[in-house]
Amino acid sequence: MAAPSTPLKNTVKGYATYMGREGHYAFLLHRLTGLGVLLFLIIHILDTSTVYFYPSLYEHAIELYRATPFMLGEIGLLFAVIYHGVNGLRIAVTDMWMPKRWAIAKQRVSVRVALVVATILWAPGALVMFYNMLLHNFHIDLLAYLPFGK
Amino acid sequence: MASKIKPSFETTAWRWMRYSGILLIPLAWFHVYLQDVIVGVHAINIDYVAVRLADAGWVTYNFFLLLFAFAHGMYGLRQVMFDYVHKERTRRIFSILLLIVWLVISTIGAIALAMGARPELVQ
Repeated sequence: MAAPSTPLKNTVKGYATYMGREGHYAFLLHRLTGLGVLLFLIIHILDTSTVYFYPSLYEHAIELYRATPFMLGEIGLLFAVIYHGVNGLRIAVTDMWMPKRWAIAKQRVSVRVALVVATILWAPGALVMFYNMLLHNFHIDLLAYLPFGK
Repeated sequence: MASKIKPSFETTAWRWMRYSGILLIPLAWFHVYLQDVIVGVHAINIDYVAVRLADAGWVTYNFFLLLFAFAHGMYGLRQVMFDYVHKERTRRIFSILLLIVWLVISTIGAIALAMGARPELVQ
């Protein structure tokens, strides 16, 4: 007998099996990046508030953000913030000025454009953050490996 | 006349999502790029925060971020919740819970922003 369906189960099953392709992936990525940024934002508001409420604790919080797993997470966070913005802009612009672009075929293009734009805006920041992570946490200076190094 | 209809809470909230979202593109992007990329976590400490929170311009900037980003996020979470919860009563309970969480955390953040950092208390 099939297990009883619940809204949560339906949603998760829908996420995994619905074959909406580009528009569906954009929806999933928008939701995932939004929830991820919100989770970080809640932690970030509370830890930064310690500068007033419990100043001795702030240095510990910052110490955590400097750890390698967190720095990798911050590179992901940068992508999440940028992608959520670019895709949000795609949604707003399509809604307000070009609703015909909601057609599935047109969305296949706009979703890809949004992903490419987000990646272009993210990559330079991601490189700098990755460079800083290697420099501070592993004492590797990538610039020293350039042919005309500093 | 359609234009005379008073917009419902949901309509106003939807508009808030769109307008705050557009505003957050420059606000949040610049914030993350400045602090996480240009300055970087290794250069941030309580003295750095204290200098920034002594500046009325940056306090205002951060206050707008707190107001727009967190409300945008919490309303977004409410929309996600609506996808999983279909009973009107449960939706209402969760909405009120989210509202309380939003109010409490926003207040904590706003107080810290208004009062500034206290590096002299670090032990």
